[in-house]
Amino acid sequence: MLEQVIAISIFIIMFALIVSERIERQWASMGCAVLMLLIVFGGCMHSGKAIWDTINLKELATTGFWYAKGAAESASTGVNWATILFIAGMMVMVEGMGRAGFFRWLCLLIAKAVRYRAVPILITFMLMSFVLSMFIDSITVILFLAAVTVELGGLLHFSPVPVILAEVFCANLGGSATMCGDPPNIIIGTALGYTFGDFTKNTGAMALSSLIVVIPYFYLCFRKMLKNGSENVDKTAYPQPSSAIRNKKDFSISCVIFAFAVILLVTHSMTGLTVATIGCSVAIITLLSVGREAGKLLKKVDYKTLLFFIGLFVVVGGLEQTGVLERIAGLIEVISGGNVYVCIAIILWISAVASAFVDNIPFAATMIPVIKSLAETTGLDLSVLAWTLAMGTDVGGSATPIGASANVVGVSIASQNGHVIGWGKYCKYLAPATILVMLISMAGIFLRYL
Amino acid sequence: MEGQVILAVGREFGSGGHEAAEILAKKYGILFLDHALLKNISNEKKIALELLEKFDEKPKNRFLSRTVAGHSSSPEVNVAKIQFDYLKKLADEGTSFVVVGRCAEYVLRENPAMISVFVLGDKETKCARIQEKYNLSEEEAYRTMKRRDSSRKTYHNSHCDGKWGDSRNYDLCINSSKIGVDGVVELIDDLIRQRTGAGCKKAD
Repeated sequence: MLEQVIAISIFIIMFALIVSERIERQWASMGCAVLMLLIVFGGCMHSGKAIWDTINLKELATTGFWYAKGAAESASTGVNWATILFIAGMMVMVEGMGRAGFFRWLCLLIAKAVRYRAVPILITFMLMSFVLSMFIDSITVILFLAAVTVELGGLLHFSPVPVILAEVFCANLGGSATMCGDPPNIIIGTALGYTFGDFTKNTGAMALSSLIVVIPYFYLCFRKMLKNGSENVDKTAYPQPSSAIRNKKDFSISCVIFAFAVILLVTHSMTGLTVATIGCSVAIITLLSVGREAGKLLKKVDYKTLLFFIGLFVVVGGLEQTGVLERIAGLIEVISGGNVYVCIAIILWISAVASAFVDNIPFAATMIPVIKSLAETTGLDLSVLAWTLAMGTDVGGSATPIGASANVVGVSIASQNGHVIGWGKYCKYLAPATILVMLISMAGIFLRYL
Repeated sequence: MEGQVILAVGREFGSGGHEAAEILAKKYGILFLDHALLKNISNEKKIALELLEKFDEKPKNRFLSRTVAGHSSSPEVNVAKIQFDYLKKLADEGTSFVVVGRCAEYVLRENPAMISVFVLGDKETKCARIQEKYNLSEEEAYRTMKRRDSSRKTYHNSHCDGKWGDSRNYDLCINSSKIGVDGVVELIDDLIRQRTGAGCKKAD
């Protein structure tokens, strides 16, 4: 009992420190991880095994971590090294792509293809945001898309705000469609042993169905705001896609590496290559391709986020080892009264609401042992709970300006270029869209799986 | 005056720091930036002035904002950043100017032309100045002074590493109650002369 109280306290302290932003989040999570290891595992449980299991380095020495035909079941207790290595690898790849000018080139190519008209830009950029976010982290996608959108808005005399809001929503939606699109999905997939194909067939189907509704929704919301854009503009001022390419050789190589990464991910259940292997491979190939610039590229990797993840997994591991998460699962079961529809609805909406206000990554990491426990006690298929959790945490964050990283980046870039987006403006359009997608997801889950 | 001069003046409310800064800007014939900075930014970047004013010099709401990879969702932080970037741009262009507040002594700390000053005052003198300027009672003046200083302090400390009014963050701190606004102007003028190498003041 004491260890549960201390574990919960440490978790709450970690969350409070992250929300307050008084110290950087990676130090909050690492500091609390150390407290968890020393006080809970060492002091209360007197279990060196629990410490070792939570740090989970032994996983790296197993063949199954690097190669597993079918799905590799990774331990959900402790540090999920597969997630860390995959995210690190993708960071290196994306840094190389950004350096070569890939994202800006793609944005300008599409803008040129639709003849620089505002409403077609809205629709095509939404699609581009969705597709890119299926494979690349949404922060990077929005960093580049929002910057180009602001630039085009200035040239073509339309407000970039509606386009950026739509891009942000589609980035979060696209991230929910695949295993590698959003960190919660990476964590869920690696912890529970689901493949890229599993996600695509399940959350991908829900995301795509939602996209079909969301595009007309945003079109109807924003068409009048964008109506007078692109008229009476000096066409010679339009930026050319080729101007985005800093080095043709680097650009070609980064395109090939990206295509290679996508192929590896799509086929990983057939090839047996785990996401950790794919992440490391892609990183090594990118570093080799840039030669002497490898050091510079490595310096730009977001180590703070990786440290944050490590600390987070240890803290959640502490909650799991002490039985706190099992209690939460039991509570959900009691509240739902054994009704599977209610159980699913609780997980979906609580995930969505929580993700709208707090970082969805710690929430998803915490909920994985909860849904595992629920699956055992209720008889519900674990995969159904996994897809529910994924949709709730990935898309729920779109409802508010602080719910997801992509939202924060999009709002920041727009604001710093003079287009300040407050809570009112943001939530007016994106909160209803979020609720719409949650309803579509809930209906999809009920009809398809229950 | 030869060479670039950037004077960053921090001040307590009612200390006369704003008045002294304006006098110095006129004396040197250089740009004076206070809340007029917002108008300049509004004209240059085509941003609605009302929007900038709405979020100007206000601290962010910690519960309603988040920071990711150096990007903040807080309109208050982003409006502050727009101003900071504008000041840095002016400084990098070699423009001489006097700026009041705006965390300028922190934002422009890397610029060798920057001279930072903090003007403070005794409570009674400040209160008297506020009463006269804004036609308030003593109690109202005191309350206004506390409120405005608290707001400035919160804003400054949320954006800067150094604390508002901490003498270690300024080249010079002056108590205007002892020497009056004219005395403040003279002292700052002397400091600028010495920093820009325009010649030493003769000893009496």
